[in-house]
Amino acid sequence: MKIGFVGLGAMGRPMAQNLIRGGHELCVWARRAQATKPLTDAGAQASPTPALLAAQCQVVFTMVTKGEDVEQVVLGSDGIIYGAKAGTVVIDCSTIAPATTRRVAQVLAEKGVEMLDAPVSGGEQGAIEGTLSIMVGGKAEVFERVQPVLRCVGRTLVHIGESGAGQVAKAANQLALIVAIQGIAEAMVFARANGVEFRPVWEALTKGFAGSRMLEVVGQRMIERQFVMGIDANLHLKDSLIVLQCAHESRTAVPGAALAAQAFNALFARPGTRWDSAAILKVVEEMSGFPGRGS
Amino acid sequence: MGLGIMGQPMALNLLKGGHTLRVYGRRAESMLPLEHAGATACASAAEATRGCEAIFTMVADTPDVEQVIFGPSGVAEGAARGSVVVDMSTISPVATRSMAARLAGRGIEMLDAPVSGGEVGAVNGTLSIMVGGKPEVFDQAKPLFECMGKNIVLIGANGAGQVAKACNQIVGAVALESVAEGLTLARKNGVDPGKVRDALLGGFAWSRVLEIHGRRIVERDFKPGFKAKLHQKDLRIVTETAAQLGIGLPQSALIAQHLNALVGMGCGEEDSAAVAKVLEILSGLKL
Repeated sequence: MKIGFVGLGAMGRPMAQNLIRGGHELCVWARRAQATKPLTDAGAQASPTPALLAAQCQVVFTMVTKGEDVEQVVLGSDGIIYGAKAGTVVIDCSTIAPATTRRVAQVLAEKGVEMLDAPVSGGEQGAIEGTLSIMVGGKAEVFERVQPVLRCVGRTLVHIGESGAGQVAKAANQLALIVAIQGIAEAMVFARANGVEFRPVWEALTKGFAGSRMLEVVGQRMIERQFVMGIDANLHLKDSLIVLQCAHESRTAVPGAALAAQAFNALFARPGTRWDSAAILKVVEEMSGFPGRGS
Repeated sequence: MGLGIMGQPMALNLLKGGHTLRVYGRRAESMLPLEHAGATACASAAEATRGCEAIFTMVADTPDVEQVIFGPSGVAEGAARGSVVVDMSTISPVATRSMAARLAGRGIEMLDAPVSGGEVGAVNGTLSIMVGGKPEVFDQAKPLFECMGKNIVLIGANGAGQVAKACNQIVGAVALESVAEGLTLARKNGVDPGKVRDALLGGFAWSRVLEIHGRRIVERDFKPGFKAKLHQKDLRIVTETAAQLGIGLPQSALIAQHLNALVGMGCGEEDSAAVAKVLEILSGLKL
């Protein structure tokens, strides 16, 4: 099948490579032209605009950062909508607000173009290994049709519901993550303030009922004070805004997420920009006078 | 532009001050009381703006202001170079600065001038007005502000008025939540919240919010006032601004969630003092 891929960043590039490995003919576009190089080296064809790319593909993936970026590459000038034929399927793997997804899907539907929202979880590693979890919103029959293609990039594919449902699932995922990060940071500062080293506490906790992937990965980074990028805190901050916006629109109280988002806000008030989300520890430490707090 | 609960009495006060007024409201019937009082009703914002030296906007949210100024047949199409757009809505300071810059590109001045004091203040012409913009433009507009308000303060450059209003909303919302929590504690302990309020009013915990919103909570009087859904919107502006500027505002963030819950319960049209209901439910009290 001829597949288009728009957006070749840290996530998009390995996902596109896995589609080539899956035996598909690939056509790519990225804002920065040099980003297409690794893909064209692997046999993909580069297209001058998203519209021209969409004109020759049955399925078009998008993997960009923000809602505005999705609107730009899909509906903006030379966007996918100006090339896609009726029956083409746009699969947006970006993490954006459900309301934006629904709006874009509706505009595409007027031209007979299908859209699935298919945000992913599993990070850069999952993208490279093709083991992403993919949460899909859109028509069930469209999902069925493209499932073999999605299998090239992800291992766990779940059709959550209609358009926007994938983004709601991803927002729920991010909500649980940012609250967990805050919890881990608090547990660590709490242990230290009570005169207990965190590493043995962490070892005990990971084996017990509080064990989680987040505790394993982020907990370790906190212990080792690896605060430069791994999991880009900027993305968690962006996602926290999606969560809060969605909570506002759906009139839901999410007090834990709202509080955790404040720590992310505060993190970006500190010097330095490329923070890993483990750096939330610094914000929580400083509140209680660490480092350098007397006994 | 914008003749709702606030805009209508403010516009009437401008007429009373002896000014010639052209008005535009999305709902045509909102213009009637102004027409009867001598204003000219117009078919669009652009038309209402033509020939005016000062143009006031009083609408609900950031996209509404963007629409009425820069949308089709908007203020920007009708406004003359050298005229002043005065936005009295409560909206995002960041968006305000960018709109002021866009208008400046067309030779049009802008002031952000959000108000505090509610419908009563708008009717009586006693609003507090917090202004952002150039001092010389402020001086020019001041006589017009004096038709609508009493406490008129130039806070700083464009956007500074909206920052002050956001501060006002933070302090007000946190105070409201604290009053609601205190009175909930009293109720849950079987103690008369009215008597607790009376006692507290004489001491260090006195506040305007305890007086006014405290009474509403004690007497279950949630007729607005300031609607919960607007308070919810204002706190969204606060939390979004906090995220844009890298500020941690834990209290505001929590209260925003309680207002989400209150509106979700179907109480968006009630006074925001009804946020006490969310706390009462949280503690298993019957409403």
